[in-house]
Amino acid sequence: MAKNTVKIKKPLMEIPFIKSMIVSLTTVLLGLIVGGILIIAIGKNPIEGFQKIVFGAVSNTRRVGNTIAYATQLILVGLSVAFAFKTGLFNIGGAGQMLMGGLMASIWAHNVTFLPQPIYYLSLILVAGISGAIWGLVPGLLKAKFNVHEVVGTIMFNWIAYWIVYDAVKVFIVDPTIIVKSKPIPMQQSLRTEWLASITQHSYFNIGFFIAIIAVVVIWFILEKTTLGFNLKAVGSNRYCAEYAGIKVNRSIVISMGIAGCLAGLAGLTYFLGFSNIMEIGKSPSEGFDGIAVALLGNSNPLGVFISALFFGMLKMGKGSLTAIGIPTEIADTIIAIIIYFTATSVIIQGFWEKIIKKHSEKKLLKQAKEEK
Amino acid sequence: MKKTIALALMLLCAFAVFAEGAKETTATTAAALKIGMVTDAGTIDDRSFNQGTYEGVKKAADELGLECTYLRPNGTTTAEYVTAISDLYDAGYRFIACPGYLFAEAVTEAQKMFPDLMLVILDSEPTEAGANTVSIYFKEEQSGFAAGLATALQLKDASVGFVGGIEIPSVQKFSWGFQQGVKYANENYGTKIAMEAQNFVYSGSFADLALGQQLANTMYASGVDAIFAAAGGTGVGVINEAKNRRLAGEDVWAIGVDVDQYLVGDMGNGQSCILTSAMKNVGEGAYAQAISAANGTFAGGSIITLGAAEGAVGIPADNPNLDDDVEAKVLAVLADIAAGKLVVADTADGLHK
Repeated sequence: MAKNTVKIKKPLMEIPFIKSMIVSLTTVLLGLIVGGILIIAIGKNPIEGFQKIVFGAVSNTRRVGNTIAYATQLILVGLSVAFAFKTGLFNIGGAGQMLMGGLMASIWAHNVTFLPQPIYYLSLILVAGISGAIWGLVPGLLKAKFNVHEVVGTIMFNWIAYWIVYDAVKVFIVDPTIIVKSKPIPMQQSLRTEWLASITQHSYFNIGFFIAIIAVVVIWFILEKTTLGFNLKAVGSNRYCAEYAGIKVNRSIVISMGIAGCLAGLAGLTYFLGFSNIMEIGKSPSEGFDGIAVALLGNSNPLGVFISALFFGMLKMGKGSLTAIGIPTEIADTIIAIIIYFTATSVIIQGFWEKIIKKHSEKKLLKQAKEEK
Repeated sequence: MKKTIALALMLLCAFAVFAEGAKETTATTAAALKIGMVTDAGTIDDRSFNQGTYEGVKKAADELGLECTYLRPNGTTTAEYVTAISDLYDAGYRFIACPGYLFAEAVTEAQKMFPDLMLVILDSEPTEAGANTVSIYFKEEQSGFAAGLATALQLKDASVGFVGGIEIPSVQKFSWGFQQGVKYANENYGTKIAMEAQNFVYSGSFADLALGQQLANTMYASGVDAIFAAAGGTGVGVINEAKNRRLAGEDVWAIGVDVDQYLVGDMGNGQSCILTSAMKNVGEGAYAQAISAANGTFAGGSIITLGAAEGAVGIPADNPNLDDDVEAKVLAVLADIAAGKLVVADTADGLHK
């Protein structure tokens, strides 16, 4: 390459990804500090506490496997919420979309036993993705056609899914010994595999994680490299401006909700056929809401979502080990909550860092100027 | 790009140092037994299943001066239960009580993973028999019978209803026993208690307070005088509705479940809307197992069914809202049941669901 090109060094804070990463890390740090103060308040050693969380999450291959298994559905739901955020929509229907994706995939898994393995997995992904997508599309349509707010629509659909599962499990896949859950799905029909289980001491690590990684790449590609992604983001930044520029806003809303629903449906697939192997009636997965936190902390960026989901997975997996030193595990939940609060103040944190960096560079310039004199 | 990689490496190093410091410290000496419990859906202070079990193991731990704790899993999947059990195991706990039918799969897995762990499961049993698990069942029908009898004898001429959680055997048996108790009173003591099919419902949830209140509202409004609430948190909604109506001057009652729920129905004026409670002494069951685990007499692999004969089911010792002669009659009948003179069926034959 040409040696004489002048390399213009961009200030760190102006690279969007670095900027949001610094902000997110700061919120995590603040969350940990406040959590640490809470641990001190109950008379325990916070360093020891954090060590225990890390120990619980990564101390052996089984725990690492489980941490990833926890993170898998968080990645997918996080992506779902993040994707809708990009179009200015708030998808809190993750739970319902997960339930529908999981339900249809479970019924499929119990009945379709004749397909060769790779095609079977593909069919599972299609079934779960489409079911979830429908559960996102309809609230999207309601929003586009009748201006029903998507928050209302998706919450309603959470409940519809909840009661559909309540009856469908009993009708199609009930466990004969107890009517409140479905039959366990045999390993070869689920996302768990002998091989993944054997390398992680029988953890719940499953091929759903690879589905999640592919989803991260695909979503990044859609958002950054396609016209569709550009249109969706334009609608998210300013829908009136987008409309003026000739982008079909209503169509974008429906597509965005559909893709978001599809992602959450896949999360349901990994949750009910990988992490778990049964569906219970009368329960809706809390991951649907955890996804909002993941998306917020990841700043709605696919890679950011991936990292923050792994972090939340660590907290979820690791917190149980706090009992070893008598710290209530609720502390870990509190840390998560505090981090979310701080994420909400990310503008302030961003301002804080910008100020510091500005001061720093000004000093540098002054120094340079003095030296030159 | 270089900066990102450098940052990532730095983070990795930091974590590595962290993890190093957190290396497992395995106690080699035969330490004292640590007693643990994993909670079912719901919280430790649910004034019902979880709390009852924890009080039982805590009592044992306090008596023997042992360490005791509980752990609330992230959710109710088998994966999360197994994780919680292994967290306690890794922290040195070798006795773990698991209240609830949802634990069946998790206990089956855990007993294979940790052969030296003593497990107790309530209301269910592992899907494969294991040498280190004790399963405890209760004769809920006997408890429901006693409560139904007490209700009928106290109210004499009334209509009763039932709000259940999810339709699982332990809840169904409460309902069937309750109905048999009421029938027994109608036949032998000349009471006129009505039981209509539409007043025996399952809410489908153990945690929906508002739904419980709504169901109770409908029932009370249609003329029901007492509701047996066997539905955890949903049941608390039923009790709240009874409380509100009593405070407004209506003569309605609620019947509690699992533990003595008299205080749950406390109306703030020293009275309670709880007529009596159909008790199932989960605490005693867990307590006995914890004691035997500490003494080395833990009988892993056994399945225990506790009923009136063991004093594990019945109505509370103290029922301020029941007349003394009612209490006496119920206790006499319970004694008959314990002695096997009276058999309460645990099936739905000729009864509402």
